[in-house]
Order: sequence, then structure tokens, then C-alpha cells
Amino acid sequence: MAAGKSSSASKEDQYAALRELYRPHIDSFDYFIDEGLDKMLQSIRPVEITKGHLFPPKRDGRLDAPLYPQQCRQARTTYHGEFKVDTFIQCNDGPAVRQTFNFGYLPIMLMSKLCHLRGADSEKLIFHGEEATEMGGYFICGGMERLVRILILQKRNYPMGLIRGSFVNRGAGYTDKAVIIRCVQDDQSSVTIKLYYLLNGSARLGFWLGGREFLLPVGIVLKALIDTSDREIFTSLTCCYSDHYERGKGVVSTQLIGERAQIILDEVRDLSLFTRTECLLHLGKYFRSVMEGFEKDDFETVAEAVLKDYIFVHLQNNHDKFNLLIFMLQKLYAIVDQTASPDKADALQYQEVLLPGHLITVFLKDRLQDWLRKSKRLIVEEATKNKSFDLNDSQEVRKFLSKTSAYVGKAIQSMIKVGKVNSQSGLDLPQRDGMTIHAERLNFHRYISHFRSWGFLCPVHTPDGEPCGLLNHMTSTCRISSFYNSEGATKDFQKIKMSLIARLVGAGMAQLLPRIERTGPPEVLHVHVDGCIVGSIASAKIEEVIPEDLEVGYVPLSHGGAYPGLYLFTNPARFLRPVRSLLGLSNGGPNIELIGPFEQAFMEIRCPDGGDGGRNKLFPATHEEIHPTAILSVVANLTPWSDHNQSPRNMYQCQMAKQTMGFCGQALKFRTDVKAFHLQTPQTPIVRTATYSKYCMDEFPSGTNAIVAVLSYTGYDMEDAMILNKSAVDRGMFRGHIFQTECIDLSAKSRDNVTEFFCKSNLSRDTTAAIESDGLPRIGENIFPNEQYYSVCNNLTGTVRPIKLKGSEPAAIDYVAVNGTNFKDRLQKANIRLRRVRNPIIGDKFSSRHGQKGVCSQLWPDIDMPFSANTGMRPDLIINPHAFPSRMTIAMLLESIAAKAGSLKGKFIDATPFASSVKERSNSIVDELGPMLASYGFNYHGTEILYSGVFGTEMKCEIFLGPVYYQRLRHMVSDKFQVRTTGRIDQITRQPIGGRKYGGGIRFGEMERDALLAHGASYLLHDRLHSCSDYHIADVCSICGSLLTATVIKSESQKKAKRDMLGLPTVKPPKNFACQACKTSKGMETVAMPYVFRYLASELAAMNIKLELRLSNRTEHPTTTSEES
Amino acid sequence: MERAAGGVSYQRFPRVRIRELKDDYAKFELRDTDASMANALRRVMIAEVPTVAIDLVEIEVNSSVLNDEFIAHRLGLIPLTSAAAMAMRFSRDCDACDGDGSCEYCSVEFHLAARATDSDQTLEVTSNDLRSTDPKVCPVDQARAYQHALGGTEPFDTAAAADQRGILIVKLRRGQELRLRAIARKGIGKDHAKWSPAATVTFMYEPEIRINEELMETLTLEEKRNLVESSPTKVFNIDPNTQQVVVEDAEAYTYDDEVIKKADAMGKPGLIEINAKEDSFIFTVETTGAITAYELIMNAITVLRQKLDAVRLQDDDADLGELGAHLVGG
Repeated sequence: MAAGKSSSASKEDQYAALRELYRPHIDSFDYFIDEGLDKMLQSIRPVEITKGHLFPPKRDGRLDAPLYPQQCRQARTTYHGEFKVDTFIQCNDGPAVRQTFNFGYLPIMLMSKLCHLRGADSEKLIFHGEEATEMGGYFICGGMERLVRILILQKRNYPMGLIRGSFVNRGAGYTDKAVIIRCVQDDQSSVTIKLYYLLNGSARLGFWLGGREFLLPVGIVLKALIDTSDREIFTSLTCCYSDHYERGKGVVSTQLIGERAQIILDEVRDLSLFTRTECLLHLGKYFRSVMEGFEKDDFETVAEAVLKDYIFVHLQNNHDKFNLLIFMLQKLYAIVDQTASPDKADALQYQEVLLPGHLITVFLKDRLQDWLRKSKRLIVEEATKNKSFDLNDSQEVRKFLSKTSAYVGKAIQSMIKVGKVNSQSGLDLPQRDGMTIHAERLNFHRYISHFRSWGFLCPVHTPDGEPCGLLNHMTSTCRISSFYNSEGATKDFQKIKMSLIARLVGAGMAQLLPRIERTGPPEVLHVHVDGCIVGSIASAKIEEVIPEDLEVGYVPLSHGGAYPGLYLFTNPARFLRPVRSLLGLSNGGPNIELIGPFEQAFMEIRCPDGGDGGRNKLFPATHEEIHPTAILSVVANLTPWSDHNQSPRNMYQCQMAKQTMGFCGQALKFRTDVKAFHLQTPQTPIVRTATYSKYCMDEFPSGTNAIVAVLSYTGYDMEDAMILNKSAVDRGMFRGHIFQTECIDLSAKSRDNVTEFFCKSNLSRDTTAAIESDGLPRIGENIFPNEQYYSVCNNLTGTVRPIKLKGSEPAAIDYVAVNGTNFKDRLQKANIRLRRVRNPIIGDKFSSRHGQKGVCSQLWPDIDMPFSANTGMRPDLIINPHAFPSRMTIAMLLESIAAKAGSLKGKFIDATPFASSVKERSNSIVDELGPMLASYGFNYHGTEILYSGVFGTEMKCEIFLGPVYYQRLRHMVSDKFQVRTTGRIDQITRQPIGGRKYGGGIRFGEMERDALLAHGASYLLHDRLHSCSDYHIADVCSICGSLLTATVIKSESQKKAKRDMLGLPTVKPPKNFACQACKTSKGMETVAMPYVFRYLASELAAMNIKLELRLSNRTEHPTTTSEES
Repeated sequence: MERAAGGVSYQRFPRVRIRELKDDYAKFELRDTDASMANALRRVMIAEVPTVAIDLVEIEVNSSVLNDEFIAHRLGLIPLTSAAAMAMRFSRDCDACDGDGSCEYCSVEFHLAARATDSDQTLEVTSNDLRSTDPKVCPVDQARAYQHALGGTEPFDTAAAADQRGILIVKLRRGQELRLRAIARKGIGKDHAKWSPAATVTFMYEPEIRINEELMETLTLEEKRNLVESSPTKVFNIDPNTQQVVVEDAEAYTYDDEVIKKADAMGKPGLIEINAKEDSFIFTVETTGAITAYELIMNAITVLRQKLDAVRLQDDDADLGELGAHLVGG
């Protein structure tokens, strides 16, 4: 415990690998703080903004008292900081007034630059009630830990050719082909531009504005961008075609391009638009009504604004935009002519990610614009209503501006809390809800997986069922490019771009500003840097210029393949992963290079298994994978020898690892999770992968090394059931607890506006000993169901209302915390944590690490378990051998042998998958482990001879016995069992109610009824559907057949009462019912029926339909015997 | 005894030969009986020989990192010296009290009070901190230390006595405190494993190994060596003088059939024949330290006897006494 400085430093390094996993989240939020905020504010028109300030979280009231995350969790509040913006307000040409607006509070990501815990060491973290390994990356909203999902988006600034049926629906003449580019500005907001191909050979440029798509003839846009001539457009477009090329390698255009260029130009001419000014006027006329804030500007200004804000927003220069549009047209035609293949939108190659910081930047911008819009409307309304309103009075204006400003912070908070992006424009995002999720700390596997959703993706770690393949997890080595370089400094993209271009020019690239060169593939290739065409390079020269430090997508010349070019990407939010470069470097040694999915598709990467991966000698490998496990996510990497398992089993294990009941956290004492599962005696696995120690999984172990015997014993292990050793359970195996925190906030849920507070009743008989004088329970007290555990006093009446424990399980009070005193120093807000003991019982679920789950079917005592004659060992757990042949989880058998050898040797066994493919020469694992076992006097194959515990006789077969790491899953019978004999019934139908919570029954439905009918089990059927349900004896008048007209005759009942009083034997009273319709009791009979039938009769009566019963065997039975069923 | 079926008496007189007897370990042979008898003895030793263990814990203060249930469970598993357990009463049928643990016939009270004062050292609360009200019943390592202090003979394995740190219950950080009252009661392993006095009780059939010497002569030395090495345990050896395969330690044989399989693979079936003697067993007994191995065996025989008596007396409808509890408890 008394750790020196040096050991704590090494501990930090130990967590470095773990920290890397959370990087994308935190880096992106840091970007938001450092840069995104300012850039975004600057891009908002028309307010001039100097600086936005975001403050670190502070406690209410007290200045400079920092607010720590733990306090937020405890008090169910939000970890947020104040958000202020300095602005200049100018009215017409009046003086500019500097003002600061308060936009409420923005949630702060934990461990970001504004978090108080940034850079804190383990000791400081523990001091503040956090885990020693706390990595942050999430927000705390209302006490809940929420994190922003990483979503897949289309790769930014890359023109993608697509064929999609829905494009035809854009209008008459549209085809299914288009080139789409998602342009991303500096402030991370994006506008998608679509270039549709028309049947007549022309193209339309489409983008979304104000909730609808605008489609412009491409010629107008071309002409509006720069001063140009028809000839120039024509030559630019047709430059990539030359007569002497046949349809050879790398030829992307056909002679049709000339005709199409003509059509595009004709379209513009038909509109009699010739000059740039004319085009701009045309556009401005069209857009002035929809562009906000430009109502009074002239058409040209509007058109310029449209071009700036909506057309290729990632580029500032109109020449660049023109060049890109020409390039996109060329690509579009190549796809139409099938000289280039369309891109696949679903391939990772064309995708990037949406990071939390970027999402917040974009959403905040949208909200601020919304604020301006709203304020404007308010001011305009006021100005029309109130003649004396002076726009030059900055104070007045300020009043209106600040009216809705606090909603900005609230909107961001609610976005993180609920995950819904409420915006009119949709922000160019693929989805509007489900942006955030709750970071569950059920166990570490589950927790860590939250942060790695979507990635350079793991093929194993995905759910089976509906979201299979849609919900993915990043591989353990995958990173996301960010705004920060490895030293933590902000990247200057402008600088990077300039130096890149300089290097490219040095390598032989011809710069082509301002105009696109008059030629194209296959002679030269266009060079794109982040979606900007910077030049062209002779296709023969290209092989020499590839630098190592950025994503270089070199799409080579091919016949009918992807549209060629050299695409360079430096932008953030790209996937990256490290591989080893085999190309000789200046320093000689092999080095690690970060590659992206776009370039990966055109790279030759070798797996270090010695094979050539099917590539021939023409394409020698230039790179090598660092280790084959790089394809697996963190959780998938923890399965030992997963390369020996059938693949779906590894998938199941990834699911189950996330459901295990393990160590959810070491700071459990300070946690306020609604439900936390905790294993009392976890162990570290004997057989483990390299990843296990790399990510410090020992801090959060999730299972126990159980001695497992694979044998069919007593039949209680059939069908995936398993027998546990009761004595082992007695000694603590798989024991666990559930911690439930109740947050009681009396100020929030005041009844009828009467405040309540915690208080103990003065009358001693009203309360139990568990409640202390403040009305809260005593820590350590055991509370049984329906016992009081806290009491609440009504401020108005002064009555004390005790609250009883719900459910059917006893609980211990683990912890009570009081949060603030709002109401006259009375307690109103408290957290009560209950602890429930969950020892293994029949029906609890367990699983190994190989997708082999099972339910405990018996707890046999030690003496009944089979035992080994030599060692005296009794297994902790018995599973059935039938679990193996069809599931083929060989690794579980290997684990058993390996763990046995490992425990004899006293060493952990490394079970990293694919290890054999990396080693030079390797035997099979069994050949390594077998001799080790034999040297300790055990069977080579891990089997043993066992004796029956019941009979003491030797069992005539060898039994596979060894330690296997077993996990206890969180599904427990105590939470799920549902049983009832009698109980609550429905008020109307008198049938049993449903629902486990209310002690209801399980529906015995139509199909169940059919089954019983088919079996002829009519007595059981009658019992289920009648006797145990809504059995009812109704009085029916056999004369009129009515079910509803029976009324009690009073005198009869009085007589009965008299007999009761006299103590006379109660004979069956004569008919004490009479039919109200027939005015006689003569025909009254009692009939047993389901109560719903009577209900039906009354419902029908309400509709004026009389239901008449005819009692048949009346004549056979004398009327006195009235019971019939 | 006159009731033996058909007038023929199947009564046998089992023989016991003790090979090794230490305080917590015993090895003995049981002959002239069958598996049912041997297994009954094993089962009784594990599950029905009574000991004393902490059963009821009243926690006064617990500010340690472990919760109350966890500490109570750990306390229960500490082996207590239970030599007197046979003479004690089960608290459920104790007349002196209603089983509330307040009488000396059925229960022993323990106290534990520990508080880590302000030093940076973590305080380890161990079984040595448990204070018993009855000197006869205390944690086993306390008893060991006591014996040691008296200068008497070391009751248990001497190697273990080197570190008398006791059994760790919980570690306390500065300012944390643990104070509790615990009541130990008599019980049997069938109810809860904490009352089981046996760490391991196992028996094996005595193997009978016959080597076909004629066939063995046909093997080369190399083959013989392979044969000997095919068994993972050292059952056979080669006599360095005669170079014959001899049985070195028959009891090391685990009935794994490895040698027989090897012989078959060599094309010499019947080279070695191994049979289990159906009527002789070799027992290995290890105790938790609550009682000595000798006591464990003797008490087990007593309990087994009582159980058999109960069966015999069932017809006579006699008073079963304490035995009834055993039968009902089972």
C-alpha cells in the first residue's frame, strides 16, 4: 500500500494501454474546448463573437469550489460548466456594443481538459471517490453516466460514386446514379452535395436547405462559381478524353463526354444565362426567400452566400470548388459509362466516425443559430407591438437576446441525457435519436465495450440477432485520428496541407491552380488533399511520392475499377490502426505505421503466419500485421485460444462476458448505480491471453477458477444444466451481492404541492428499530419485505408516513447519504443503498469463457460428488459431455488441461489466440501441455479416474477434470421466478392479474388450452381455467333465462341470521333469490360459471342485447339440488 | 444377529491397519469389507462428524471495506478446536436454552474488537484477534500457538507453525473499526461445509498387479523402459541388477490403464494384469485441524455405529436420543 513515487509512476504506464482505448472520446471533446467552440462561433452569422468561454464545473453558490464527478453522481446532478460568450452587437451603423451572454451550462466530459480530474494520478482519483483506473470519456447527466455513441458516417470530403434506386424518385428524368460528397467545414458541420445524372446526359446538383432538397442545373453552378467561358468548361470536362485511347487500362471517359458537356452548356443557354453575374442573379432570386437573414440583400450577395454556405463548404476558394465539381462530373460520367465502378457506401473504406466533441460542436452551433432566430422573432414582434422600442438601446435588445439564451445549454444537456438531436435541419446526420447511451458498469467488459462501439471492426464482437453487424466494436488496436498529434499539441491543418503540397510538387506533381489541367486519367492522376484538388501528377511517376505519415489512398489505374486518383487525407475522425512497415527506412529498422481503411484497400499487408495470403509475386507485401489478434476487439481478445473455437461460440462469449457478475468497480463504496452486481470472491484466470494483463483486467476480475468435471452424473446435468458442489458454494464459490441505490428526492415529488421531509414518528409503536431519529435507516440493519425502512413527514398535516420495503427479498442497508438541505434545514434528498445477498441457488446461470452457458440444476453436497482416489479432489462443478461435440469449443478442453498443468506448475498459462501462427516452429498445444501433466503424475490427456460419491465404486470411464474459469451471469432466478396459487385478481373480470411485480400469474393462453385439450386432460383444464381462475356461482332464473335479474330477498337472509344467532345448524337456506323480471323465486337456479361470462352478459345488456340461458337437465334433477357445473 | 438372512451369517470382521498417523493426517488400510462400508465411513467422516464453528455473528461496528455478510461468512470458515464437540449438544435440541446460544452446553461465545489507530500501516485482523469464552474452543492456530508457548509438543505439522499469523479475516485501514460478538455452535458438515472436519477423505482399492514374466522376457530393455515410463505415476521400475520389470509402488497406480494400453500397443496383450481387490481399501484422511485425524476416524466410527444402532433399534421403537437428530438431520 505504501507505494513510492516510482511504483506509482509505473502503475500509470500500466494503465496507458487502457487509457488509449478511451482516447477518441476525450480527444474529440478537448478539440471542442480548444478549437471547435471558437471556430463554430466564428462561423455563425450575423453576430460577431470574440470568444466563447466554457468554465470548469463549480458548485452552486460557492465560487471557486470545484465540483467533482462523484458529487454529481451522488446528488443526481449534472457535471457541467458555465458557458458564456462575448459578443458584439451592432445596430445598423450604430456603435458596436460588447456584451457577454450566459448560455446556461454545458456538460463536461470526464477527464477532458476542463475536468478537475484531468491528469490526476490513482491516489488523487481514489481520494475523490473514483476508480483508480478511471478513464473518463463520458458525461454525467442527472447522476447518470452517459456517453456519446461513435457513429459511422460517410467519409468526409471524398466524392463517392453511387448507384441507388431511390435517386430515380427525385423527379422525371433522374437516373439511379449520382456522385455524393460530404463536405465538412472547419467547425465540423457538414453539408452533403449530390450530383445526379439525368437521362438526357446532364447533371443536377442537389443539397438540403431548410428541410427540402434544392436541385440546380450543374451548368449554372459552374458558371456562378467563377468567371468562365463555355469553352473553358467544355475543355475542362473533356480533358480526360483523348481520341487515341481505346477502352484500355485506366481510361475513364468516352467520347460521349463531349456531347454531355454540350448538353450542360445548352441548358444554361436555354435559361439565357451567359455571364457569372447573370447566374448569380438567377440563383439569388431563387434562394432569397429561403436563406435566412438575407431578406434585404441583393440577389448577388444571396447567391454568393449560398455558394459559400452550401456548395463544397470544405473549400474556401471558388476555383477549388469549380475544379472539384468538374472532377465530380468526370467521375459521374465514368460511372455512367461503366469505365469506373461505383463505390460501396457500406464498406469501411468509405466511412469515418462521428466523435462526441464533433457532435456537440455541430449541435451547439445549430442551437445558437436557433437562439438567434428566436431572439430575432421576439425583437421583431416587440418592435411592431411597441412603437417606443428602440433598436439602438442595447440594454433593451439584450433583454430579448438573453430571454432564451439559457435554453442553449439545456438543449445540449437534454441531448446527452436522452440521446435525441432536436434540430430542424437534421444536421446532416444519419440518425436523430440514440446518440447517447448509458455507460453501464455491470462489469468491466461491458463498460469498456461501450467506449469501443463502431470501429476498425472486430468480426467476433457483435451481437447475434437483429443488430448483428450493425453494432460493432473497434479492435483493440484501432484508434481514431484527432486534432492532436502524439505530443498532445493541436495540429495545424493549413500548415500540414502546405507542406504536403510542397512535398508533392517536389516529387513531380504539377500544381494546377487555379484551373484543372486539361487532361486526365490515364495520363495524369488528380491529387486530392482532404477533398481539394491540388494538382495532377503523371501516372508513371506516382509510385515514388507516397509519404508515410498520412492516409494516402492511391486508387490505381484499372479497367472498369474504382475511379483512379491520389487521395490524401489528413483530417480527424478517420479510423487508424498500426501495422508494421516493411519498406526500408532511413533509420533502418522496421517501424510502425498508422493506416486507414481507405488506403488499406489498396495496400499489400502480410499476416505474420508465413503465408502469402494469396498474393502473387507481382505484388510483394509492403506491410505486415503486428499480431493477428489485431482483428479482435478488447473483449474478444480475452477469450483464451479463441482460434480453436467454433466462431459463433466466441460471439456468444463476447455477449456473456458483458453479462457476468464480477467486480464492477473498486470504488463501489462511492457508487450510486441503480443496480450493481458484485462477486464476493473473484479470482484471476490461470489461463489468460496477453490482452488480459495489458488492460489490467485483474483490477476487475469476473469469475472463478472452478474444478470442472465433464461427466454425466445423476442426470441432473442434462441439457446444459450443471451441478454445483454445495460445499464449494458453502465455502464461498460464486457468492455475490446486488447493490441497489434508491435516490429519494422529496422536493421533486411533493404530493399535492405539500412539501415532505424525512422524519421519524414520535409514536414508538409506529416505527421499527431500523429507522433512526432522522427518518432514515441505520446502516447495517437487515430489512425484511414489507418492513419499514424510512419514514417521511408531511409538512402540512404533520403525519408521518413510513415506507416499506418492496419485493420478496430481505435487504441490508449498505449506505445512506444525504444530499443537501433545501427546505428549512430539513432532509429532503437522500440515497439509500440496499445490499441483497445472492448466493448461488438452483436456477442461476453460469458460463465458461467459451460460450458454454448453463443453469445450476442441483447443489450436491461434497459427499455425493465423485472423487478422485489419489488426490481426494471433488469437482466444484459438473457439466455434461454432450455440451461439446456439436459446439466444438475445443479451447475449453484446452483451457482445462492448461489450467491443470498451470496450477500444478504454479504459473499462468498464456492462451493468446493465433500465437502458433506467429511462432517460428510450434507444436500443438496439447503436445506442450500433455508432458507437463504427465510429469506431475497425471494423465497426458487431462483425464482422471473418479469414484462415485454415492456408492464408492470406481466409474468405468476416464473423466475429463480440470480447472476452467467460470463466470456467474447476472440472470438469477431470484429476479425471475414467478409463482402463485391465489392472489390479486382483476377487478372487472375477477381473473388473476399478470405481472411478476404484483404477484400475478403466467398467462395460460389459447395454445396452452389446445395442448391440454389434445391430451384430453380435461380435469386439469377445468382446474386451470375455472377453479383457479374466475370461478363463480351465479343465480339464473330458469323461467326467463336471465343471468342478471337475481335479487336477494331480504327476509330470507334475516331468517338465516336468526338461525345463526340461535346456534341452530345452518341447513342450506332455501332459495333466497328472486328474479326481478319474473317477480318470483320459483325458477331460480345456481349455475357455476366463469365470472367473465356474467360480465359479458352485463356488457351485452348495456347494448340492449339480452343473453338468455336455457338450463337443460332441470327435469332430471329436482330443483332442490342446485349445484351444477 | 440371529436375523441374518437364511440362517447364514454374512458377518465379517474388518481389519484396520494404521500406516501413518499424524495430527492432521492419517493413512490406514481397511480390509475384509466392501465398498459400501468404506464409502459409508468416508461419507460420515466428511459430513457427519460434529465440530464447532461460528454460526451466529452480531456485528456492533463494521467500517471495514468488507460488508457484514462477507465477514460473517469468513468467520464461519475458521476452524475451531472441536475435541469437545462430540460431548456438546446441538443448540436446536438443547434444553438449557432455546437455541439462542446463551448456554454453555451448546455454544461458545467469541468477541472480536479491532481498530486501526492512526498509523499508516494497514491492520490485519486475524483469527488471533478472536477472544473465546471457553478455552477448549478457540481458533486452531491460536491453540497451536498456545501449545507452542507451553513448550509442549507441537500438535500439528511443525512446518506450518513457523508463521503464526493466524487466518486473515479483514484488513483495516486507518480509522476503520470492527467490533463483533460471535457464537459458535456444534454442527455437522451436511448442514454447512464449515462444520466438516475433513479437508480430504479418500480411499482407493488396493491394486493387485500381476506381471506375466514369460512374456516380459520377450521384451528388449528399451521396450521395458518404454513400458515403465508409460505410466504417469511411478508404479513400475526396472531392477538395475536383473533388468526385470518390478512393481515399485502398486498404490501409486491410478487405474488409468496406461500400462495395459501400452502393452496392447506393443502387441503383447496380457503382459500386465491389474485388478482391484474388492475388499481392501487404502484410506487417506486429512483434517482441517478442528480435530485430530485420530479423533476424526474414531468419531466417525462412533457416529456410524450410532446410525446402525438406530436402524436396528427402529423396530424396537426405542428412544434414539441424540441419534435421532442424526437421522432426522440426514
